[in-house]
Amino acid sequence: MTALDPVQLALTQKRLDHIARQMGWVMTRTARSPIFNQSHDFSCFIASPDGTLVSQADGIPIHTGGGGFSVRAILKAFAGRIEDGDVFLLNDPYVAGGNHLPDWVIARPVFVEGRLAGFACNRAHQSDIGGGAAGTYNSAATEIFHEGIRLPVLKLIERGALRDDLWQLLMINSRTPELLDGDLRAMIGSTRIGADRIAALVREAGVETGLALYEGILAHADRRFRAALATLPPGRYEGSDMTDNDCFEKKDTVIRVALTLDDNGLHVDFTGTDPQMRGFKNSSLANTYSAVYMALASFFEPDLPRNEGTFRSVRITAPEGSVINARPPAPMTMCTVFVAHEIVHAIWKALAKADPTRACAGWGKTIHNITSGLGSDGQRFVMYHWNAMMAGGAVPGRDGLNQIGLLIALGGLVVPNVEVYEQLYPTLIRRHEFRTDGGGLGEFRGGTGVEYEADMQVACDWTFRGEGLGYPTGYGVAGGGFGAAGRMSVETAEGRHIEAPQYGLAQFGPATIHASSPGGGGLGHPFDRAAEFVRRDVRDGVVSLESARRDYGVVLAGPRFEIDAQATAAARQQRSSA
Amino acid sequence: MQLQAPWRIGVDVGGTFTDLVLADAAGAVHVTKVPSTPADPAEGVVNALGAAAKQAGMALPELMAGTSLMIHGSTVATNTLLEGKGAKVGMLTTAGFRDSLEIRRGIREDQWDHRAPFPPVLVPRYLRLPVTGRLDRNGNELEPVSGRDVEAAAAVFKDEGVEAVALCLLHSYADPKHEVAAASALRQHMNGLPITLSSDVAPVIGEYERGSTAVLNAYVGPRVVPYLAGLNRKLRQLGLRHSLLLVQSNGGAVSVDHVQDRPVQLLLSGPAAGVGALNYYRQTAGTDDFVSMEIGGTSCDVALMSKGDVAVTDQILVGGYHAAIPAIEIHTVGAGGGTIAGVDGAGMLFAGPRGAGAVPGPACYGRGNAEPTVTDAQLVLGRLRPGPYAGGAVNLDDGLAREAIETKVARPLGLTIERAAAGIIRLLEQNLLHAVERMSIERGYDPRRFTLVAAGGAGPMHGAAVARALGSRRCYVPRLAGAFCALGMLNTDVRQDFLRVHFADLDRADRSALEDRFAALEREAGAAMDAEGFGGERARLVRSLDLRYLGQQYAIRIELASGFEPMAIRRRFEEEHDRMFGHIQPQGTIEVTALRLAAIGAVERLRPAAPPAAPPPRPVARRPVWQDEASGWVETPVFAGADLAPSHRLAGPLVVEELTTTVLAGPGDTLAVDASGNFDIAVGAA
Repeated sequence: MTALDPVQLALTQKRLDHIARQMGWVMTRTARSPIFNQSHDFSCFIASPDGTLVSQADGIPIHTGGGGFSVRAILKAFAGRIEDGDVFLLNDPYVAGGNHLPDWVIARPVFVEGRLAGFACNRAHQSDIGGGAAGTYNSAATEIFHEGIRLPVLKLIERGALRDDLWQLLMINSRTPELLDGDLRAMIGSTRIGADRIAALVREAGVETGLALYEGILAHADRRFRAALATLPPGRYEGSDMTDNDCFEKKDTVIRVALTLDDNGLHVDFTGTDPQMRGFKNSSLANTYSAVYMALASFFEPDLPRNEGTFRSVRITAPEGSVINARPPAPMTMCTVFVAHEIVHAIWKALAKADPTRACAGWGKTIHNITSGLGSDGQRFVMYHWNAMMAGGAVPGRDGLNQIGLLIALGGLVVPNVEVYEQLYPTLIRRHEFRTDGGGLGEFRGGTGVEYEADMQVACDWTFRGEGLGYPTGYGVAGGGFGAAGRMSVETAEGRHIEAPQYGLAQFGPATIHASSPGGGGLGHPFDRAAEFVRRDVRDGVVSLESARRDYGVVLAGPRFEIDAQATAAARQQRSSA
Repeated sequence: MQLQAPWRIGVDVGGTFTDLVLADAAGAVHVTKVPSTPADPAEGVVNALGAAAKQAGMALPELMAGTSLMIHGSTVATNTLLEGKGAKVGMLTTAGFRDSLEIRRGIREDQWDHRAPFPPVLVPRYLRLPVTGRLDRNGNELEPVSGRDVEAAAAVFKDEGVEAVALCLLHSYADPKHEVAAASALRQHMNGLPITLSSDVAPVIGEYERGSTAVLNAYVGPRVVPYLAGLNRKLRQLGLRHSLLLVQSNGGAVSVDHVQDRPVQLLLSGPAAGVGALNYYRQTAGTDDFVSMEIGGTSCDVALMSKGDVAVTDQILVGGYHAAIPAIEIHTVGAGGGTIAGVDGAGMLFAGPRGAGAVPGPACYGRGNAEPTVTDAQLVLGRLRPGPYAGGAVNLDDGLAREAIETKVARPLGLTIERAAAGIIRLLEQNLLHAVERMSIERGYDPRRFTLVAAGGAGPMHGAAVARALGSRRCYVPRLAGAFCALGMLNTDVRQDFLRVHFADLDRADRSALEDRFAALEREAGAAMDAEGFGGERARLVRSLDLRYLGQQYAIRIELASGFEPMAIRRRFEEEHDRMFGHIQPQGTIEVTALRLAAIGAVERLRPAAPPAAPPPRPVARRPVWQDEASGWVETPVFAGADLAPSHRLAGPLVVEELTTTVLAGPGDTLAVDASGNFDIAVGAA
């Protein structure tokens, strides 16, 4: 192989990222469900002919490592039978390299001069795929069969001809066939644009050079990440995180990871992780890899290349039958949130031991429930209580964010405006503001979480998905404390008081929800927090006067909470000599 | 120069230079550039006026007296915000909702960069104080405003030395009565303090965006308003006959007197003037479809005009802060003459987004920067010549440029200096191409049918190349490329936008309710335009509706050409939806979400002058210029801009040296000078 032109390599890397983004524009513009043009719950990616992900510039963090699995499953299932004009569809996490059933992958092979020159792909969360509950999340599932239709690798379009029989099969398995139809067509359209652009790029370069450029881009990413790893001292670092329930009852499930860093790279070993569980939080292999990649990438520079070359130096051991690599027929729809969150936490904790100066404290786990009922227009509404989202964890130099979107999207989910919600749904929201003393203690404190209160003015079906209720979830690091646990209760119009379960379904007439969302973890010892920051927090009402004195050793006095320097020094002295 | 009275003057205050453009009654345009004076930008403005008067051979009062219109693009609001030098602001919110300003809906610019802090919240929580009282979604009162809460808040504000107050109470877009009541109670306790009502500056639905806009207004006001009023006073004393006009983010002008309550409208004041420039060039280029790239030292602003309408947005982000104000949509990328190139730790060539700024500037400036920039690459490739530019303000040193590229790019990558320099330019031009594609394709426009306008000091060096890569056949280079926005100011209409949130089913909407609301907006607009000197017939009022399919989050704006005709409106909505999103829902319920009214006071169009003919130009020099990989070094003619006159046609490759810019046309391109003296490049195939 002749050496690559470095200018062409740089141009191609940027151009592939641009193509992936362009596929995303097409998807956002043409998809039917709001989940795509509002929440961006999809990822567009490009893979090489051997199924290695070369660009995923457009997409959500928890999709980071899944793409290659899908394309490799296609290559295996249709070896020797992949032709120009074909389009593949898959979703199954057990046989087809899917991450969980709601995320469907459309993959279109790209041919140039009769040779396979890559794949243009789109993974997107569908509005409904059948199964035991509308909207893809069935918290009562104990088998994958309860979660919706399973798709092995299918040839949805064969040499340009759509398989109508297959299309009908898909449509009759969804409660929202109109949305599914529109969204699948948007996915197919976006891969067509992507494939055309990839083909043009490879044709311009010549097929041989084009394929060599893919490898050049992956090799560069590999060097980038090895350089990032080289900033950590070699050694073995352990971390763990847990969930306290299996969606049905209290039962701890622990994810244990050991990172071993040596000259060969990084070994991520989950040996010792607890067995798979009854409920739907079991992780697929594709999802586990994604969570690992996301945890690693987010620990280092934010501009690391988003392709599989970045993780060539990473080897993952995921014991079969454990909660991070479940055996069929374990249910797994929830895994892209939980246990992905716990996997990221476990790895961040281990990395913090390798380099405390870059430690990330834990983010609170979600508690937001869903209410559904009939609006004044007689139409069914589904209201996600996203105003009850949790807080983020501290990082060196910055407190945790007091309210932020899901960890597995690195916060990329937007908090709704209360006014918009009151226009859309029969609700009156009474409170949406920071908790007091909700943030984990630390030199940099965790985010506070929020107090949230809302009246549902009509009878509703309530779906509880409160992983973060009842136990603290945002861990502290380097001497920092846990964020406060989440709480939630429902008060019906007749005065009945119900403590919300973590997972479950219920029906109530008009009722009021009271929630305190989970706080984020703190970083460093609270006695090292600048007294001026503690004073500001007390003035702001996010830390109480008592906590300032007791937990931070800062004594404040007077109406403007002036710092009593002497008393503060004395209080902090006491603790350090204790 | 001999001026024909009256004339117009536009002044654009940039970070480095203050540009003044003067157009006289005959259409002759003159540009004056003086250094900006960041400590007191007004000084730079007066200096520029002094320099222009001197050029015209008259005294300053004479220049001012002959000025029929003076327009200013001011970065003072933007800089106040970016430098964190605004006022100490207090905020009143509905009890239970103190924190939406700080939660910011969790929106961050780079999702992956989860360690990045938010910019500082402009009002700390202890100054965001709750007021009991509640409206429902229709603006009906559920609980009255508590005067006692307002009084308590006023005491805190006084005690803390707050300089301005912003109010944002829930559902005030539906009915401002609670904000009005709270403000009036507040005034009783703290007289004379500027108070911003969210329902006044941004009557949009969404307490975060509306509140953030109110806070920004309160924050910049006490710095911006006295400055502008002072400048206006000074100019009037110097003999200016009418109040100074300012360019707002919506691309329209407003007088100093009337922007005092809404200084937040000035956040995009400078770049928004590009609209006026595009409107001007519609007359000379004979098209209504443009994509413009205005490329300066560090960044490139891309804007789009289709069928004479420029792409607009309802919300802008400045320094990480959201403002819900009508604005020209501008996509900015870090790509300019000072963009730094290099090789990353893992061996990959990069160009940007970091720039060398004006100081120290490119390596070839010899002011201490050793990292190669795009300007250095252009110099190495012979597209710029070594030596003094801009009247000696900078001096380009070829040796320094070669050294920077050699050590930082060529040697690490094993390339010749020429290939390394050409690679930097190709990478930068690909970034520009992607920015243009994003502005057009993402919005459902095919960029190939647009004329690419290459403006800004550095734009004309890249225009033809980017147009070629884009598949567009035409690149238009204004003769005054370096004063694009300042010129645009001279062609800016007075404009104010009004909005009323209103929900209705398009097919079942109560027409008289819509009419009542539009009529109320028109009364408000009429009064405002009257005060600007555009009373009665002189103001054009344009009604539009924001529409969406039921359940969607984003609305599409449809102008009401005639009356309220639901069928016709549906058809136009469907056309627009199909263009933007690729599909429609036949028979789908269409929801009205807001009524909008634009009030436009048309300023007389700036007429392009017709420069005199001249004999066919001869190159002033020939020098080797690196064209591309295929042609390599080509002996290329260099023309002096002053020699090029209407009807001249020149075959590329060639270089045109103008006072503030250098124009490149490649092999296969043809550069024609149009009737008004601008350069129209027919772009050859790739």
